[in-house]
Amino acid sequence: MNLDIQYLVQRFGTTTVLDGLELSTGDVRSLVLVGPSGGGKSTLLRILAGLDLPVSGRVAFDGEPLPRDETSLRGYRRTVGTVFQAYNLFPHLTAMQNLLLPLMHVQGMSETAARARVREPLERFQLADQAHKRPAELSGGQKQRIAIMRALVVQPRRLFLDEPTSALDPEMTAEVLEMIGELKDSGTQFVLVTHEMGFARRVADLVAFVGEGRVVAHGPPGEIIDRCTVPRVRGFFERILP
Amino acid sequence: MGRVSDCVSGDRQRLLPADWRTHLPQGMKRTMRLPVLTLVVSLLSALHMLCATATALAAVPLRVGMELSYPPFEMTDPQGRPTGVSVKLAEALGRHLGREVVIENIAFDGLIPALKTGKIDCIVSSMTATPERSRSIAFSDPYLKTGLALLVGSGSPVQSATDLDMPGRRIAVKKGTTGHQFASTTFKRARLLVLDKESAAVLEVVQGKADAFIYDSLSVYQNHKRHPDTTRGLLQPFREETWAVGMRPGDTHLRDDVNAFLKQFRAEGGFESLGDEFLPEEKAAFKAQGIPFYF
Amino acid sequence: MSRGLAHTIVVAVFAALIAWAFSRVNYAWNWAGVWEYRQKFLTGFGVTVGLSLAALVASTLIGMLAAMLLGSKHVLLEAVGRVYVELIRGTPLLVQLLIGFYVVASAVGLDNRYVVGVLVLALFSGAYMAEIFRGGLAAIPQTQRDSARAIGLTPWQSFRLVILPQAVRLVLPAVAGQFVSLIKDSSLLSVIAVSEFTLAAQEVNSFTYSTLESYLPLAAGYLLLTLPLSAVSRLLERRYRYET
Repeated sequence: MNLDIQYLVQRFGTTTVLDGLELSTGDVRSLVLVGPSGGGKSTLLRILAGLDLPVSGRVAFDGEPLPRDETSLRGYRRTVGTVFQAYNLFPHLTAMQNLLLPLMHVQGMSETAARARVREPLERFQLADQAHKRPAELSGGQKQRIAIMRALVVQPRRLFLDEPTSALDPEMTAEVLEMIGELKDSGTQFVLVTHEMGFARRVADLVAFVGEGRVVAHGPPGEIIDRCTVPRVRGFFERILP
Repeated sequence: MGRVSDCVSGDRQRLLPADWRTHLPQGMKRTMRLPVLTLVVSLLSALHMLCATATALAAVPLRVGMELSYPPFEMTDPQGRPTGVSVKLAEALGRHLGREVVIENIAFDGLIPALKTGKIDCIVSSMTATPERSRSIAFSDPYLKTGLALLVGSGSPVQSATDLDMPGRRIAVKKGTTGHQFASTTFKRARLLVLDKESAAVLEVVQGKADAFIYDSLSVYQNHKRHPDTTRGLLQPFREETWAVGMRPGDTHLRDDVNAFLKQFRAEGGFESLGDEFLPEEKAAFKAQGIPFYF
Repeated sequence: MSRGLAHTIVVAVFAALIAWAFSRVNYAWNWAGVWEYRQKFLTGFGVTVGLSLAALVASTLIGMLAAMLLGSKHVLLEAVGRVYVELIRGTPLLVQLLIGFYVVASAVGLDNRYVVGVLVLALFSGAYMAEIFRGGLAAIPQTQRDSARAIGLTPWQSFRLVILPQAVRLVLPAVAGQFVSLIKDSSLLSVIAVSEFTLAAQEVNSFTYSTLESYLPLAAGYLLLTLPLSAVSRLLERRYRYET
């Protein structure tokens, strides 16, 4: 995907969260956004995923700008997948019903066709025997993996993941990261917001450091995480990396 | 507690010895003396009051039940105190019996249950002595003769009680009254609207939601006067009734006392003066129209 | 000990206490007089059932509408909802009935006291329902709405497939409680001469002077309506819960 962002501004009330953010990625498969809390990473991701409309600015994927009205934006959202930090799944439905819902109600598939579509990913990620359970009966890691699967089954153009492991313990974090790693290897495009720098090094084609509503620095993971000369970025990584 | 006479003779002065403070427990701090003093004085005052009341309790008060929403017989004055013909009658009865009178304001259809369960001793509430009620409670000799009359809506075709027993007629009654009882057994083809309050029943007639309100002739007269344009008063009673004092069947002693009182009260002209005090206009008006209304 | 056995034991102890209290009261029972009026009781019971049912349905609809008004972004719509809820919840049902029937209904020419009674009752209960529904909707995490949007569901689909099922589970206990209250509140319709169950008992009492014999069947009748309601509600709660 080729992401081009020009002078993106986002405000909530009187607070300006994105202050003329600009980014040009070139052709990459995975983009990882890092940076301090409140810096604007999640806000940016929500705009890229078509969930919020910015105050001003231009966002284009592969030359196609994002729509500016809600109805067209909904159409755009149907072509991508989004996973949040928690509470993705609908608790009153089983995991299977969660997976079938977008297929049946958004893409209009029949139940038989939908079940056929989800069978393969369930088996691939070893969640087939959890499918009949409700989210309350699943572990945090299983829930996030089902949520990612739900985003995948509609065969989206790209995925957006907003800190998918931040609410998980280390063991579950590992199993979710493993899944994302597999997706990267099999060619899925995604934009990921995360604090897991080791993982970022592994899966990112491009890392962008977002702070104070702007992209402070961007480049290949090694360059940004280990060898960045911008003091703001350097200071951040020195504090958080072991 | 000692005998009543001990209290009355004023022994309080000797209840506390002069050196009472020294009898406080040793080591009691100075700061505790004031609260202890207050406590002791309060207890002693209470004791004194109890003794004083004991003397007054020689005569048990007479609890009289009535519903204070039936002027001018049972009502409240602007200060909220009970007043009216029945109240004055009850007070005179109390004087005759040598007992203090306590008026209990109870909804009309709750009076007989209150009497039966012992919450009140008698009912003086313009209550008609009917055979049905006589199966539950005892009545004194009647003290007033009146009858059921109709408050009719000005737009209603009803001209007399016989017009009431037709399908489509709506008759308003107050719950538990003789009007209610009579209408439910006699006017079977009409629709009965049973209401809690006289004012609600009158409102139904005034608004045309009911054809007629069955109540006693005096109240019909008064309500018609208050709503001259929207109602008509058919005051000639279609059913005569007498009012009496209600008591528990076992209270024969009280019943004899009450009957004796009523006889004496009438002989002394007590009822005449009550009529003049509370109902001068009505007395005259009814007399002029030849409608029975007398004590 | 099974739950059914425990319930039975507690009810039996309670009944024994009541029976003992009655035996102390030296009350002359007269069931024959009340038995004569059994048709009146049955008719009144039927009227109460009909009124309650109609008011239940109407109040649920009114409550949903008011909840939507309360959550609306439009200032005027939200104000309508808020004023309605505060006014109704802040005044006694008795006052609403009297003003509703003798003033408002008369003004618009609506004379049928049964219709007016059901309407007033529905408006009364609807205000409480509105707050219950609003609370239920607010309790659903925002991420649920985000997830639904992210999948590409339309607002109506989001509401129907995601929000409503969760809201129903959240509000079910409170709504069942409100239904029970409504059945009991319907007894107040007697003040505008609606011949429902409570008025029937009151009339029988005023004819026979048998107070307890009139009111005990009344209590039993209401329990006959409210207990199954509570039981069904608990059954549904257990069946549809998704917390383990």
